[in-house]
Amino acid sequence: MNISTADFWGYVGQMLDGAVVTIQLFMSGFTLALVFGVAIGIITLSRNIVIQAVWRVYASIIMGVPSLLIIFLLYYGGSAMLRGLFGNNLYVDVTPFGAGLAALTIVYAAYVAELVHGAVRNLPRGQFEACAALAIRPVSAWRHVIMPQLARLALPGLVNIWLIVLKDTPLVSLAGLNDLVANAKIAAGATKEPFVFFIAASLFFVVASALTMPLSNWLERRFARGLQRVKA
Amino acid sequence: MTSLATEAPMASPVAEPLRPIAVEMTGVDKWYGTFQALKGIDLTVRKGEKIVICGPSGSGKSTLIRCINRLEPHDKGTITVNGIELDGSPGRTQDVRLECGMVFQQFNLFPHLTILENCMLAPRLGRGVAKEQAEAIARRYLERVRIGEQAMKYPSQLSGGQQQRVAIARALCMEPRIMLFDEPTSALDPEMIKEVLQVMEDLAAEGMTMICVTHEMGFARRVANRCVFMDKGEIVEEATAEDFFGNPDSDRLKQFLAQILH
Ligand SMILES: Nc1ncnc2c1ncn2[C@@H]1O[C@H](COP(=O)(O)OP(=O)(O)O)[C@@H](O)[C@H]1O
Ligand SMILES: [Mg+2]
Repeated sequence: MNISTADFWGYVGQMLDGAVVTIQLFMSGFTLALVFGVAIGIITLSRNIVIQAVWRVYASIIMGVPSLLIIFLLYYGGSAMLRGLFGNNLYVDVTPFGAGLAALTIVYAAYVAELVHGAVRNLPRGQFEACAALAIRPVSAWRHVIMPQLARLALPGLVNIWLIVLKDTPLVSLAGLNDLVANAKIAAGATKEPFVFFIAASLFFVVASALTMPLSNWLERRFARGLQRVKA
Repeated sequence: MTSLATEAPMASPVAEPLRPIAVEMTGVDKWYGTFQALKGIDLTVRKGEKIVICGPSGSGKSTLIRCINRLEPHDKGTITVNGIELDGSPGRTQDVRLECGMVFQQFNLFPHLTILENCMLAPRLGRGVAKEQAEAIARRYLERVRIGEQAMKYPSQLSGGQQQRVAIARALCMEPRIMLFDEPTSALDPEMIKEVLQVMEDLAAEGMTMICVTHEMGFARRVANRCVFMDKGEIVEEATAEDFFGNPDSDRLKQFLAQILH
């Protein structure tokens, strides 16, 4: 090793700080994408042509433009956009974290919305009709009958999105966020020990993805209540 | 003579006073895009009557019955259910749906809820019934359809016949005045049809107003006050069960009966 042990532990500490930033960005990004995505997914089930037109434009931009460009757009253009929206006297400092969070939310909300559409299409029409025939009002029907079944239908897709968001989070380091990957790069450069720090960062992501499995299995069991065919 | 014709119904001997009208459809048309599914439907069902509707596939039976609780909006004519006219307003629609229970061919139970929860949901949400009371009602109707001991199971754990009986109990839990059945036994294995028909016959014996789309001719003979034959969106013939099967009028009905009875 080319550096003192004290320095080495200093870099390790920096990487841990970075890991915390990565986890915060990932968790908040995924949560916001989930909440907005479900809302957008339900709203865009409407056949209203204005809603449909807005959705089409939004979805085609998101599906076509790389996430990195959207992060850059929001980071470097965010202040100007906010001034355009809320007036010139507003001064907002767009942080890399804020831009990254907004970008992850905007991008993955579209994917979650698509997932909701697919799940609704896969739900038998009879479920909606049974609710209507039983005089269950639409809001209650969604809450008690439709949403629980959508959750189960959409779960595998959500796990997928969860994993992709996790791997996309480090892109925000390119907008200057000192996350795990940015700090690994600094440490690797300073110590000339690229393997140690990059492999450590990789291990973090491997462990984080691996933790997803038990979580998704648990959710699957919970949502599958009553839905598995009983083998005779 | 026109005057005679108009007076004829009033002059006909009435053994008992006519019961009040439960469902009245007059001149009802229904279009799916450019396809006309119902053509000038006139149908009157009185309280306590049991009506069986039959006819070839695609003749508009489901559409007719689904217009009665406005799962499908009609395009022309009037539909009145227990005095409430379906005019498209959400309030009236809701009121009519509270009057009508419906049983579907595919059961449409809620797969993520237990049998008991399936039966408790609508009374809790729609009628604001307290939990204990909703459970008591649910258990009572589950007993009535002879499935009380399965209350804690999920729909997928029951046979088709059991699921359909739960669906009937679920509808009854809303204490409807009218029951609509859309081919309730068509998706069932033959050995399960009887248990469902038995429950329907019990219900008929208790005086429920029932409109059933079914091809179960034995059921129709035992239970129906009147049978209605539909073809191509029209009501072609309407008669007592005895005349309907024994002495059909139209060629279309004769052909149809020959096909299903052969
Ligand atoms: N949602 C719909 N959209 C378009 N056509 C429909 C729809 N539902 C039913 N139809 C058509 O209307 C006709 C009557 O259907 P239906 O009432 O289901 O007949 P039945 O129950 O007698 O078999 C059929 O030709 C069917 O294809
Ligand atoms: Mg039908």
